[in-house]
Amino acid sequence: MTAVATSRSPRLLVKVLCFAFAVIACVIVAVFVLFSWQTNARLTRTVVENMEASQRRFAGIDARLRREHTLQAMALAENPTLKAAVDTYYSERGNEHELGQLRSTIETELTKLQEIMAVPALSVTDVRGVVLASAGPSKADWPAGARVQLRVEENGAPVETVVLRNGHPYTATAVPLVLGRDVVGEFFLASPLDDAYAANLANEARADIAILLGNRVIASSTPAALRRALEGVALPLSGTIVLGEDEFVVQRLSSVDSANVYALDSVAAASRTASSETGWVLLFASVGALLMAVGGSWWVARTVARPIDRLSNSLATMAKARDFDRPLPPTGGSRELDTLTTTFNELRTAVSLAEAESEATYLGVIGALATALDARDPYTAGHSQRVADLSVAIGRKMELSEADLETLRLGALLHDIGKIGVSDAVLRKPTKLTADEFEQIKLHPTLGARILKPLRFLDAQLAIVELHHERPDGRGYPYGLKGDAIPMFARIVHVADAFDAMTSARAYRGALPVAAAMSELWRLIGIDFDAQVVQAMAALPIALTEPAPGEQAAEADRPASRALVQFPKRAAAGTAQHAQLALRRAE
Amino acid sequence: MATLRVCAGVALSLAVLCTSERSNVVAREATGSLTGRVHVIAHPARRLATAGAYPGRTVGIQGERESSELDNVVVFVSSPMPASSSPQRVTIRQTNEEFIPHVVAVTTGSTVEFPNDDLIFHNVFSLSRAATFDLGRYPRNASKARTFTKPGVIKVFCHLHSHMSAIVRVFAHSYFVVPSRDGRFTIPSVPAGRLDVTAWHERAGEVTHQTTVADGTAAELTFSLPLTDPE
Repeated sequence: MTAVATSRSPRLLVKVLCFAFAVIACVIVAVFVLFSWQTNARLTRTVVENMEASQRRFAGIDARLRREHTLQAMALAENPTLKAAVDTYYSERGNEHELGQLRSTIETELTKLQEIMAVPALSVTDVRGVVLASAGPSKADWPAGARVQLRVEENGAPVETVVLRNGHPYTATAVPLVLGRDVVGEFFLASPLDDAYAANLANEARADIAILLGNRVIASSTPAALRRALEGVALPLSGTIVLGEDEFVVQRLSSVDSANVYALDSVAAASRTASSETGWVLLFASVGALLMAVGGSWWVARTVARPIDRLSNSLATMAKARDFDRPLPPTGGSRELDTLTTTFNELRTAVSLAEAESEATYLGVIGALATALDARDPYTAGHSQRVADLSVAIGRKMELSEADLETLRLGALLHDIGKIGVSDAVLRKPTKLTADEFEQIKLHPTLGARILKPLRFLDAQLAIVELHHERPDGRGYPYGLKGDAIPMFARIVHVADAFDAMTSARAYRGALPVAAAMSELWRLIGIDFDAQVVQAMAALPIALTEPAPGEQAAEADRPASRALVQFPKRAAAGTAQHAQLALRRAE
Repeated sequence: MATLRVCAGVALSLAVLCTSERSNVVAREATGSLTGRVHVIAHPARRLATAGAYPGRTVGIQGERESSELDNVVVFVSSPMPASSSPQRVTIRQTNEEFIPHVVAVTTGSTVEFPNDDLIFHNVFSLSRAATFDLGRYPRNASKARTFTKPGVIKVFCHLHSHMSAIVRVFAHSYFVVPSRDGRFTIPSVPAGRLDVTAWHERAGEVTHQTTVADGTAAELTFSLPLTDPE
């Protein structure tokens, strides 16, 4: 069973579904891959651009902050106490006590300023660069008496200097203390360039910060690994650089002497989150599209396969029922299928026409056979045709369908076909038949059935041929069937056969008049003839009409087809005896 | 402490009396004079802080004065001299956010007035050892004064305008002078003998020359004060 199933070709629906889905799925997957690749590329580009923009912005902000820082320093340098103390310091040289007092005055003032500025170190030097006093958490690196070399101004504006104090790098902004037209000292703000400074800056920049002195990293907010990767690397002023396995957007924020402050942003870290977000969206969209593709493919498959299914189903039904008469309904699926249906219908029509033609040919041959049979005995000439006509007339009276009438007609036409097998000597014997001869005659229904059996299209007529000599009383032959056991068609043909036999002349007797034959039929109802059939027969016009005796001679040579309306001349004589005789012969 | 101060004051006044008496004796005996010229050599490369925090307010320091630095020089006898006080009353005006003159030289006991000519408030204070004071803030046309009793260099500032400064040089004798605009100076009635004479400028520092003053003659001296960076 499974072997049969697997060897069978798949259903069209499944096949179309698979093909349609496979194509759509391929397209969707290709689009997904392409789109996500492109999106990732664009995303990275956008991330880089955003980072560059924000870094540039921060560089601007940072520059402004530094400028403001400087301005603040300049404002603080206008502190009169500081100036007075520093200026007085000169005139008190040589008096250590006084100088100490002045230094502590300066320190007190600086401490106040430091609280305002929150700078790691605030210092004041004299004009030679000797520190007078310092304040702030980092003041230990700037002790009084220490000599510092700071660039004070360039082009009239304070500048920053990077200096090493006790091995700690500092960035310092120095502002001159001006009194009148003279510079009496320097006031400066210093911040250690350490990791805390970098972290603070990183927090403001929202990017990593690395501070390099030359190619050496002196402070950074980056993880240790990245810090190691930065060591010895020449960073661009602005742009991207690959450090380790990651790409970074780099922007130099500020540069003082050989110290450079860089903002660093990892491209991968930023784009990873963004791309994973868009990746999910894309994935959802693709899965959705695939689901829709399943539905779409199903719809396409159904649209394509359904009319074909319908067509093949109606064909299968038609073949099963062997009903080729009705045309196939149009599927309406497509023009091609409609053409197929129409062509099939035309073919079917042509085939049934050919079939009808060949049936007609058969029938013609059979008719010819029957005619030939009739022709063996001049007395029975036209008998088969007359019985056929009469049977149809009775059948019509009994309100049989046209198809049944056709069956009846053919069966009646062929009812005596078995007589082919009866020798001429018996058949044409003008005298009374012996018992043996009669037995031979009685074989003809069986013989006829045997002859017609191979012709399948005459299946329906077989019973008529075989049973047209059965009688309601069971004394018929070949089987002696009784009453209702005898098919109606056989009963009709039996009556018509008897009537025609009675009303036809024979070598040994004349023809009975119709009325005599009818009365004989009436008399033998239930015995030899079926009551229903006889009643129908009686209602026929031939049974009521009695032609004029003069016409009979002229009518004798008319064609068999017109036999129904002609009556043998001799039928006028001795009725009952004649009828008896006729019936005996007919049997 | 108070007792100590009183004692010091008494001693000082006694000393002053003694020296004045003695100088009269010397003057009678032999006096000459000191004369000469002071050159202030080019103002150093130091420039004005044009980018100051209060650029609009620094009106007083904008007008450049010819040889103005000579006004800020004091020439005086730096050898120990008998004390002699001739108290004066001098004025340092506060005009256009500037103390004018920038430098005054007085003997002990002199009083310096600080009238305010500006529309704005000014303040006068000093952190110097010889006279630590704060005259407070006062408006236009008001004036405050301070009498200086100890010799020394007293730097005076304004708490409101940090660019303002003045110097009061107080001497225990009267052998000092501020040169004239052409740099010439004369100190008359100087006791004859070997004397140290010093020219002083707040930035250039001091230049001291030794000279011998003969009776009835004028000793000629020339000072060159390099107004450069002390470095």
